[in-house]
Amino acid sequence: MKNLFSFLIQYGVVFLFLFLEIISLALIAKNQDYHKSAFLTSSNAVVSTLYGWNNSVIEFFKLSAANDNLSEENTVLKNQIINLQNKLSTLQPQVSDSGLFLIPPEMEYQFISAKVINSSTNKIQNYITLNKGEADGIKVDMGVVSDEGVVGIVKTVSSKFSVVIPILNPKIQISCKFKRSNYTGPLVWSGEDYRYANLTDIARHVQLAMGDTLISSGLTSTFPEGVPVGIIEDFKIRPSDAYFNIKVKLAVNFRTLSHVKVINYLNYNEQKEIEKTTEE
Amino acid sequence: MLIVLQNIFRFVLLVLFQVLVLNNIQFLGYINPYIYILFILSLPYQTPRWFTLILAFLIGLTIDTFSNTMGMHAFASVMVAFLRTGIIKLFTAIEEGNNPIPSFHTFGVSAYIKYVVAMVVIHHATLFIMEAFSFSNFWIMSLKIIMSSTLTILLILGLQSLKTK
Repeated sequence: MKNLFSFLIQYGVVFLFLFLEIISLALIAKNQDYHKSAFLTSSNAVVSTLYGWNNSVIEFFKLSAANDNLSEENTVLKNQIINLQNKLSTLQPQVSDSGLFLIPPEMEYQFISAKVINSSTNKIQNYITLNKGEADGIKVDMGVVSDEGVVGIVKTVSSKFSVVIPILNPKIQISCKFKRSNYTGPLVWSGEDYRYANLTDIARHVQLAMGDTLISSGLTSTFPEGVPVGIIEDFKIRPSDAYFNIKVKLAVNFRTLSHVKVINYLNYNEQKEIEKTTEE
Repeated sequence: MLIVLQNIFRFVLLVLFQVLVLNNIQFLGYINPYIYILFILSLPYQTPRWFTLILAFLIGLTIDTFSNTMGMHAFASVMVAFLRTGIIKLFTAIEEGNNPIPSFHTFGVSAYIKYVVAMVVIHHATLFIMEAFSFSNFWIMSLKIIMSSTLTILLILGLQSLKTK
């Protein structure tokens, strides 16, 4: 017994060291899970409050740029309204005889706007924290877009905050397709530059050109079809390869990201359910 | 007592500086200095080793909580805290019974620089290896280790040289 105690005292520090390192490793391993608990991450109340304060200071300096963006968007929207009104007025007379037009489009998607209060672009696995959570209707697995294009997918939600996995994280792949040819493939980030990602699953017979636009495919229920993802910056293929190695310039600038919209797909549950029953 | 307050103050200040300022600075896309380990570097020499380990774990976990990197900073910090005494003994000859706070003044310029370089490089190497969790991005990882270590070392030495005056 005496020997045991003296042994423990002599090597106590080493044991403590190993113990703490094992706890750290356990935390890292736990963090690899897709759905982790919201405790001890930046959706934690204390941390998000602090980030909220910090953000309100930084936000003040970004106001003028945000203003420019908003007014630009405003103009675009106003133009759209005018266009639609024009169309409406040309269509109206025909409604009475055919009844085919003016069927209200099904409201499948709803947007919840949110503000980015913390984000990184320089890690291998990056995350974005938003200032809205479950109380505002955000749920895990919802898609997130900005005015520029696809941002990422919601990973964790607390009552007031949520954490998003952006394209800049190898944990997710965004299914996207070419606007011109409709070929689809998964977009993956390589971990190097926050402006570019790679598309590796396009077969060699597909016709490509620099500057081709890439949009979300709509094949997953997370994003509606047609949200911009990026444009082709460069593509390479060696004679022995079956697939192109395509470098894509992302539509969203993750460094200046400040306002995003979370997509609420209203028929999500119904779609999942019917897909599940078919598989069984 | 004064030294305890001083260290608590240093802990809070370094954590705030790290998460509110330095985590937002991203030179050239992937250089991010981690100056918070100055807290571990500046603990008095004779702080009990078990206590150093626990403090290092705490500051690492705090930084982790703020940057969504659960466990990585805690792992790297505990690693340097464990090696600290050995590294100090390697570079300096401290007399028995003395309890200096590591700085240019107490260690001497060259010994202190060696101490800081060794500790920072070990910390950053551990951290970035844990972050990548594989050697597939070996060159990017090495570049990150070298660049970020250099910046952290310069920042720490700069801060410390201001303090001695």
